[in-house]
Order: sequence, then C-alpha cells, then structure tokens
Amino acid sequence: MSALLSDQVRRWSRDDTVRTWARLAPALVLVGVLFGGAVWSASSRSLGVGAIGSPGPSLDAYRRLLGDPEFWPSVALTTHVAVTSTLLSVALGVGAALLLRRVHFGRRSLTTLFQFNLPIPHVIGAVAILLLLGQSGFISRLTAGLGWTAAPADFPALLYDPYAVGVIVQYVWKEVPFVGIVALAILRAAGDDLETAAATLGASAWQRFRFVTLPVLLPGVLSTAIIVFAFSFGTFEVPLLLGASYPAVLPVLAHQRYTDVDLANRPEAMALAVVVTLIVIVVVLVGAALARRAVRRAGA
Amino acid sequence: MAGGPDPRDWPAVLAAADGTTVDLHMWGGSTEINAFVDEVYGPALAELGVELNRVPVADTADAVNVVLGELEAGRTDPGSGVIDLIWLNGENFATMRQADALLASGWAEHLPNAAFVDWDDPAVAFDAGRPVAFTTSPWGSAQFQFVADTARTAPQELPRSYAELAEWIRANPGRFTYPAPPAFHGTRFLTQWFHELDGDPDAWVEAFDEDRYTEVAEELFALLEELAPALWRGGATYPNEIADLDRLFANGEVDLTFTQLPAGIGANIDAGVLPATARPFVFDTGTIGDHHYLAIPVNATDPAAAMVFADLVLDPVRQAIKLDPANGWGDGIAVSPDRLDTEQREAIDAVTAGLGDQAVPPAELEAVRTSNPGAELTVRLEADWDRRIRQGRTG
Amino acid sequence: MSMLWTRTPTPRSTIGSPPVAPSSPEAGRQPAPPATPTGRLGPAAADGEGGDRGGTDHSGTDHSGTDRGGTDHSGTDHSGTDRGGAGTTVAAAALVGLLLLPFLPLVLASLSQGYFHPQLLPETWSLRAWRLVLAPGAGTWVALRDSLVVAAGVTLVSLVVAVPAGRVLGTRSFRGRRAVEVVLLLPVLVPGIAVAIGLHVTFLRLGLAGTLPGVVLVHLVPATPYVVLLSAGVFANADLGLEDQARTLGANRRQVAWSVTRPLVAPGLAVAALFGFLVSWGQYATTLVVGGGRVVTLPILLFASAAGGDTAVTAATALVHALPAVALLVATARILGRDVPTLGGAR
Repeated sequence: MSALLSDQVRRWSRDDTVRTWARLAPALVLVGVLFGGAVWSASSRSLGVGAIGSPGPSLDAYRRLLGDPEFWPSVALTTHVAVTSTLLSVALGVGAALLLRRVHFGRRSLTTLFQFNLPIPHVIGAVAILLLLGQSGFISRLTAGLGWTAAPADFPALLYDPYAVGVIVQYVWKEVPFVGIVALAILRAAGDDLETAAATLGASAWQRFRFVTLPVLLPGVLSTAIIVFAFSFGTFEVPLLLGASYPAVLPVLAHQRYTDVDLANRPEAMALAVVVTLIVIVVVLVGAALARRAVRRAGA
Repeated sequence: MAGGPDPRDWPAVLAAADGTTVDLHMWGGSTEINAFVDEVYGPALAELGVELNRVPVADTADAVNVVLGELEAGRTDPGSGVIDLIWLNGENFATMRQADALLASGWAEHLPNAAFVDWDDPAVAFDAGRPVAFTTSPWGSAQFQFVADTARTAPQELPRSYAELAEWIRANPGRFTYPAPPAFHGTRFLTQWFHELDGDPDAWVEAFDEDRYTEVAEELFALLEELAPALWRGGATYPNEIADLDRLFANGEVDLTFTQLPAGIGANIDAGVLPATARPFVFDTGTIGDHHYLAIPVNATDPAAAMVFADLVLDPVRQAIKLDPANGWGDGIAVSPDRLDTEQREAIDAVTAGLGDQAVPPAELEAVRTSNPGAELTVRLEADWDRRIRQGRTG
Repeated sequence: MSMLWTRTPTPRSTIGSPPVAPSSPEAGRQPAPPATPTGRLGPAAADGEGGDRGGTDHSGTDHSGTDRGGTDHSGTDHSGTDRGGAGTTVAAAALVGLLLLPFLPLVLASLSQGYFHPQLLPETWSLRAWRLVLAPGAGTWVALRDSLVVAAGVTLVSLVVAVPAGRVLGTRSFRGRRAVEVVLLLPVLVPGIAVAIGLHVTFLRLGLAGTLPGVVLVHLVPATPYVVLLSAGVFANADLGLEDQARTLGANRRQVAWSVTRPLVAPGLAVAALFGFLVSWGQYATTLVVGGGRVVTLPILLFASAAGGDTAVTAATALVHALPAVALLVATARILGRDVPTLGGAR
C-alpha cells in the first residue's frame, strides 16, 4: 500500500474512532454522571467529607460499621440468601429448560406461560408470596382443608424466619423463568446435532448432559448466575416485606441507617452503601473471570 | 411572608389559598382513613378552590425526614419545601419542634374553628410533654385499646392489666405478639407497660428521671426477655406494623391486637379487616390517650391552603362525621363539647350513643386514660427495645 | 469437542419471539453483555464478525413461542432430545402451574371480604376492594399516572442515548469495547438502594429530590445499561449490509435510515425500550429514597398498602400494577411476532 493510501486509512480509522466514541458519549456520560456520581457521593460522605461540621476524611463510619453488632449477621444472612437463591434458580432453571425443550404437546403455550412472571415487579411477587406461603396463607388453608394442619401455627413458618425461606422462594420464583429462558435460547441456538451424534455413538443421557449440553450452557448460565446473585444480594423490597426483624439484610440495613432520625448515622449508611456496592462488584468481576476460565477450559 | 399568612385575616387566607394545592403527607396505612380524607375533605376543599394532594407515607418519620433534609440542604425559605402539611404527634412533633422546622407563628390559635378547641386542656396544649404553643393544630384524638375475638376468647379470660397479660402470655404460648417499636402501636404498647411497672404515668410527661428510668426499664426488659419464648414465633421476629398484627389476629395466628380508635372498630369490621366478632377493651391500669395534630413545615409552599385544611377538619359537623365508624374512621374528636352549640353537641352524642359494643364506652375510656409521656421516654424505650429485644443484646 | 465451537450458533431472529421481558432487572441483563460475563461460546465467535455475540441470546428470547414453520432448529425429532409425550407435557404443565400459583391467592383476595384463614375460597365475595382501588379519587390513578410518566421518560431518554451507543457497540470492534461493556453493566448490578442513597443528598441540594424528574434520573441508572446493551444486540444481529446496498443503489442517508435501517432494528429496539420501561416500572428502593415519599408510583403505593392491613385492597392494587407490564409484554410480542420473518431471517 502506498504511503498516501495508508495515511488515508489511518485518517479513516481515526475518524472512525472519533465517531465511535462520539456515539458512545451520551450513554457513557449519562451513566457516568449518575452512577459515578452516586458512588462518588456515597464514598466521600462515608468518609465524612461533605457533611456539615465534619472535621475531614476519616474511617470512623467504617470502623463503626464493622463494629456494629448487626453488620456481620447481616452480611451472613445476605450472602446466604444470595447464594442459595442463585444455586436453586440455576439448577431449577436449567432443569426447566431441559424439560421444556422436550415437550411436544402444547410446547408453545407452555413456554409462553413459563415466561409469565418475568415482567412482574418484585413488590407484586413479594405480596403474592406473602399471601401464598404465610402461616395463614393459601397453602396453609389447603393443608387445613386436607386435614394436615389445623391452626395457622401448625403450618411451617416460611416467612419472617431466620433462614429467609420466603425471601429465597420469591427470588427463585422470579429467576427460574429467567434462567430457563436463557438456557432455552442457548440450547435452541446450539441445536442438538451434537447430542444426536453423541447418542449415536452410545453416550447415555447423563453423559450427553455432562459432556455436551452442560458445556454449551455453561458460559451463558454462568453469566446469568452472576446476575441472579447480584440481584438477590441487593434487593431491598422483598426482604423488607418477607424477612424477619433481625438481622436485616444489608440493603434493608442501609436504608434503616439512612432514614434514622439521628442524622449522625448517615455516614454509616453511606459506608453500608459503599460496602454493599463493593461486595457486588467484586463478586461480579471474580465470577466473570471464573466464567471466562471455565469457558476457555471447556472450549479447549 | 414571615411566619406565614395570618389567619386572623381569614378572607385573605382564603384568597391566598384559592387555586393552590395542599400537599398533605399523612400515614397511608389505612385504606379506610385515606378514603375518608379524600371523600369527606376533598370536595369541601375544592369548593374553596383548594386542591387536596394526599401523599401517603409509610411512616410519619419519613415525612419529617424530608423536611429536615430540606432544611439541612439549605431550603429554609417559605415556598422551598415540598410538604405543606404533616399529620403527626408525639415524637415526630418533638423532633420537628426541636429542629425549629415548624411554622411557629402561632397560627393554630387563630383559625376560625379553633374557637371550638379547648386549648386550656393540657391534653390538647401538650404533646409528648412539650407545649404545643399553637405550632400544630389538633385534628382528632385517640386512645389505645386492645382487641380480642369473642369467638375465641371469653371476656372473663381477657387480661385487664399488663401483669395479667404476662400471665396470659405464659398460659397461651405463641398466641400473642406486638408490632416492633418504633412502630407507633408497638411503642405505645411498650410505654404503657413501662407506666404500669413504674406506677406514676404523669411524672413522665414533663420530666425524665434517668435513675428511675434505668430501674424500671431493667425490670421491663428483663420481663420481656423472659416472656419472649412464649410469644408468637418464640419472639424471634415481630410484626412490622399494626396492620401485620391485625392480619395475624384476623387469621387466627394470635389472639389479641390493638386499636387507637375511640369510636371502636366498626369501620375495620365493615372493611373486612377484622372479624365480625372482634371487640375492643382496655386495661384497668390505664392506656394512653392523646390528640393528634396537623403541622405546617416552616418552608411550606402553600401554608394558606394548609391552614384552610386545618381549619376545615375542626368544623364540628365534620368532627362528628369523623367520629362515626359508619363513615370509615371512628377517630375521636378534637373539639370540646362545652364549646359547641346544642345541635352540634347532639350530633356527636348521637354517634356515641349508637356505637354499640364494637366500641369501649366513652366513660370507661376516660376513666383509664393516661397522658402521653414526654418524647425522651419513648425514644429511650424504642432504642433500648431495639437493642435488648430485637437484637437480643443484653446491656 | 472442538467441533462444538466451530459451529458458531448465531442467535437468529433473537428478537423474534415473545421477548423475555424483565421486570426489575434481570431478564434483560442476561447474556447480552458478552464481555464480562463471557457470553461467547468459543474462539470462532471472533470480534468484528458482524458482531456475533457468540451464541448468547440477547433478549433471551424463546423461539418456540413463534414456531414459524421451519425456523425452529430442534423442531424435528432427534434422538439427542427425546421428544417427550404426554408425560413431559404434564410435568411441564405442573412446573408452569407452580410458577403461576402465587397469583391465585392474589386474585381471590382482591375479590373477597374478610378472607381469613382457613377459608380456601372466599366465603364473602365482594368487589369492595376493586371499587376502592379504581375509585376516581383513589390514589391508584395518580400513582398509575406517575409510574407511566416516569417510565416513559426513562424509556425515552435511554433510547435516545442507546441507539447511537448500541449501534457502535454492536457493529464495531474497537479498543476499550469490553471496558465500556463492563462500565455499562455495573449500574445494573449494583443495588439500587446504594445508588439511591448515594444520589439523594446531591439531589436534595439540586432540588431534584421528591420530583418526577429526579426519580426519572435515578431510574435511568439501572435502565439505561439494559437498553444500551440490548440495542447493541439488535444492531449486531441486523443485516446492516442492506444499508450499503441501498446506498449503492443511490439512496441518501436519510432514506437509508428510514426505509432500510428502521424496519430492521425498530422491532428489536422496541423490545429494548420495553425492557427500559419495565425496569423503571418496577423500581421501589430508588423511588422510595429519591422520591422522598412525595413521588408515589405504583410500587410505593403497593408497599404502603401492604403495610396497611387491608389485604383485599393490597391484592387489587398489586394486580393493577402487574397488568400494564404484562399487557405491554404481550403487545410487544405480538408486534414482533408479526415481523419475525423480516428480522434477521436471512441468517
């Protein structure tokens, strides 16, 4: 290529780069200002900067937070809820996808109905679960009708309980269709030629799943799992409605500290917001790295 | 307009209010009360050219926080706040008073219908131990009562004091609980227990005795800790709000709930929130009765409209309507019968006479009424309850 | 094993079928961002290959919903996926039934009065709750209006920034693309309560707290990334080569945009917009904090109602809140369903 031409190309690519970033700018600026602003604001206020009459940056709020007796039980509970919800949603979601894939009669309607609760906001789901699983809820009335339980107290306590069963059920209820649809789409796009081939070669159903289906699903499902985790970790309204008084999960704790009439608790609330954000980001990045490694290994 | 419009020149206030909207922030946890406010006051306000914007809040403290936040952010001038009127009393009043967040021009004294209010009555003039000093205007009155289901519990089995309640809890494990303070009813429930153990409710209205508090609180929380395993869910969790307790009660998970309505629970029964066989009762040892008020933040945008609303609700005819559970509420009156004319008094008496056993007789209510203590006591009780009972930490 | 990867499963007509609409967050969040959560299926799905996102389905759409005769890969019976008989249908129906079960007590409660334990079906049927909720002066209408206004604002703004950004992300490979995708993904994953707390005081000072614009702004944080990343997927899958062809045939830029690009990407962008709408529609924590109780959207109203003791009214309010979301989903599915053959069908 002549020098003139390569100059031309270079100019084109430079223009292209400019145009690319120009097109990205509005979105990046919008998100950057709002999200970045939120993170910056919470961080600086958690360090005590910016509040009226504060002496300057300090880690007091964090120290107080780490010493707060409700903080560590809250971390434990929140992690438990997020991990359990994720594992259950992924397992059940993939299972649902595998099942739906094999359905012959009524597949279209069933798959459509399967997605029904995806657009349903979480607050509604929480209210529905409240009416369904409470000790005087719908299931309890069913068992009472069948003679298995008499009084509401006979029915197991699934809401406001120390293991946050009701909260986890709500998350799983919302996320199974999500994971399921993603898995279905992946499987559909992948087609089943390989599975057929494997079957022809004598592989059992389990072997086909383990060595053919699972690797296909893994990358997409892993990323979905990360999302489900982040979501189950950070949701506020569901544990507020269905969770026990103590300990509160981290998002609820943050809100409590923030709305405390004693404004001296604000920095601690900000610290909580920062901590919650950091935990999620770390988990996402670590999870993504692990996912990438798993994909690379599987693809080898 | 320092100090807001002057209600002594009422036509000017009406003129200023005409065409504006009053942003009333009030507890939105009762559909019936919400509907009542919209349907009874809304049209009347509209006739005066004022639009009612009723903003439901989950907790009055949230509205207070908004105002405090605005003031902290420097929006202190009249017209810079988003809230015109807050329905509050007790601690929330104390908080706003302390922060100088209330319109303190003494406007409540000069509302036209304030003539019907007996401001000499300490029950009106003091709120949470602090002098109201006309910074808020009364809306109604309430008194704490317990509610039981006659279909489940016979009247003679009911506890009539906290001492008997403790026995009752022990005898009926898992059948009682209370909303977690600082939910309004939870705090009040706790405060009354404190009063019974202490023996002198009036002493706490204006003064706070630290030593005496420590002594009685220790006894109270030790008792609560001992009773906890016999509560619903073994005391591991408590309902968040009175509504949750009502639901537990109605569904038969617990046997007692609470109410604040002096005219009884007729409205709740009609709404299907409480079973038809539910009946209120009080403890012989006393329950707290007080007034609730409307407050105008110092930076309100439409203080004239707010004053119009505050005046409207004091109209004796509307007070009688509010008193009647058939209209959806059943809240006590804020006006003094002595200051009403015959016709107005008769309207109120007619309602009271027709209440039946879905209400505790007014004479009985009055006999056991104790005053709302100073905010220091309730704030301390809430904090200590949170620490010792909710979090389970001792000391 | 390597055979698996050479076949780059292209998500054809991804936007084709009943879209998986998210409510609060996920469904849209999913594999679409191929960078961080590695959506790629393998080395063959190289960058710049017309933006092939390596098989991860962007909107997680399900093709079976619109089995347009022949576009379904696994439609024909393969031994690898044993097509089940009545047994699988029953099992699947049971699964779906379980997922839909929670709506039953919701509907029953909304139509009842005094629906206490142990009544299974209400003893007293009543329209009282619906009458209260739908009454002209009821807070429901204001909340509905505010929810709609906010969600519409959020959708509009995010679409405006998402279209150019999505086009670039979906069709060009450039240095820093992965970083951009990560940056865009974070606001979606970070808890809304943290974002709201972070922004609140600043909004207070700017006079945005307790206002509709303020709530729109805070909703944009979780919503915009969705819309951007989904738009990227749309552009990635659209056969944009047609644009060049049109230009070769003499069309100017505006004609190309209107007659070629628009039909190609509009349906998919409609889905992206739907996602943005639904994210805003379901927001609670952000509205609660930034709205300061002054902006009452349906989630706020619903939550307050749930704390208010009248279960029937709460249930009715919940159903009112759910209806527009479901309706929008169905409508979009229908629109997209019609256009499937034109969408990326060439692939």
